[in-house]
Amino acid sequence: MERYKRTAVALSIAAGFAGGAQAQEGGPQVSISGFGTVAMTATDTSDAEFARPNQQSGVGTTPRTGPDSNFGIQSTFKFTDSVSATVQGLVRKNASDYFGAELPWAFLKVKANEDVSFRVGRTGMPVYMISDFRNVGYANTMIRPPAEVYRQVNGGSLDGGDLTYQHTFGESTLTAQFGLGTAHNKLVNGARIEFSRATALHVLWENGPLTLRFGRADATFSMKDNPAVDGLLASLVKAGFAQAARDYSITDVKGSFTSVGAIYDPGNFIVQGEYAVRRTGTRVVMDTSSWYAMFGYRYGKFTPYYYHGNIKQDNARTYAGVPAVGPLKPLAAALDFLGKAGIQSANALGLRWDFASSAALKVQVDRISPKDGAGAFVNAKPTFTGPATVYAVGVDFVF
Amino acid sequence: MSHTPLKAVLAVVCAFAVGGACATEMVVVVNPKNPATRMFSEQAAQFFLGKSSLFTPVEHTDGPLRNEFYQKVLNKDAAQVKAVWSKLVFTGKATAPKEYGSSAEVKKAVAADPAAIGYIEKAAVDDTVKVILTVQ
Repeated sequence: MERYKRTAVALSIAAGFAGGAQAQEGGPQVSISGFGTVAMTATDTSDAEFARPNQQSGVGTTPRTGPDSNFGIQSTFKFTDSVSATVQGLVRKNASDYFGAELPWAFLKVKANEDVSFRVGRTGMPVYMISDFRNVGYANTMIRPPAEVYRQVNGGSLDGGDLTYQHTFGESTLTAQFGLGTAHNKLVNGARIEFSRATALHVLWENGPLTLRFGRADATFSMKDNPAVDGLLASLVKAGFAQAARDYSITDVKGSFTSVGAIYDPGNFIVQGEYAVRRTGTRVVMDTSSWYAMFGYRYGKFTPYYYHGNIKQDNARTYAGVPAVGPLKPLAAALDFLGKAGIQSANALGLRWDFASSAALKVQVDRISPKDGAGAFVNAKPTFTGPATVYAVGVDFVF
Repeated sequence: MSHTPLKAVLAVVCAFAVGGACATEMVVVVNPKNPATRMFSEQAAQFFLGKSSLFTPVEHTDGPLRNEFYQKVLNKDAAQVKAVWSKLVFTGKATAPKEYGSSAEVKKAVAADPAAIGYIEKAAVDDTVKVILTVQ
């Protein structure tokens, strides 16, 4: 019951606040809006489960709502033409095995002039091109954010502030956003990841149908409450492998994420792609590069689309620092296991149907090919090597 | 008021017309205090797609006039425009434009706000607003 209570409380934050404000004569202008996706997802295998990034469990052959369903509600309070506040509550399956409530946005925004605005509080961390609206299915062509790229950095709420510069040059618009703050994300095994100092730069250039994007995020992060890794590190130190302990350190590690993206949307078709590179100072969070490309064609209210995505590991998948001999074998095996990223490629075919003015039906079939392991599948049997097919059907709505 | 029935008939015809076969004469208007004198449709589109917040767009509710504006000026259909605004609204970047049910109401809203920009039927134009673009 506790979890449902928490969900209800968090969801009512936005709505409840708004009710009070509206009752006030001459108070701020309040607008309430919401979004959601109701979806069923299933796979063709019972040897592994398909999940979105940072979900504890996923789906096998029995269709479930868990991976791809969510619901969000948002209130914006406009105090003056230049000062506003925004609160957003989101319910989805993330880190734990039930639908839980989060508060991804809660900020005060001040527009300094026509071009410059500041935000203070909790904002989205614009790590990816569609970071800020990846949970809003209706705003996207595909049923879910492209996993190969979007699983590299989890979470995405920054507690701090950011500055946005937006200027129109003739028919082009330049938007540059720089944020600074801290972040903390729950991980599936009960552990947490804490970003003690994170910066995020997000630059967009838009001209008619063309959008070009550059992003760079840097952070110093630590993994907390991760007894498995802590125990392993202690064993390494005890066995005299201080360098290995440093290579697998999860305290005050530096990491960076660099990405470029583009969207071309002239009307009857849409092309979208991103390329992103992750680099960190620990083997526990691997160096990876990933990309995806999507092509969609609009036949009136129907948009069939094709997607291809790929993620590969750039640092070594095995570790040579501890020899796999005698009593060290289990230790060496554990280090190899910990240092392997889930790598895979995927092809997907989908269809978006804008059947109502604020709702879209989507059907998507993914064929996912893991490489050297189970890829992004979770709770996989050791024998699982894929490929596997993932089926999903869902309705996205906004109000 | 005498031409209202004709307009109603035209609206019904337009609702069933394909493409630009049935075109209402439409103009983009701003407040007379707005220093702008003319504008290209690409520039006007930036406001109605939330790419520029220099002017505040005033929208129509769903209907043939809005669909024609979307098609001719924004080069998008209603669902695409809705998706564009969803991106802006749910990232706290903008609030969706206010919607009004007729050209008369849009005109009134534009006349009341020096920063507003709207589009109305040409027949509805009077000196409370300033025409900066005729939609072809």
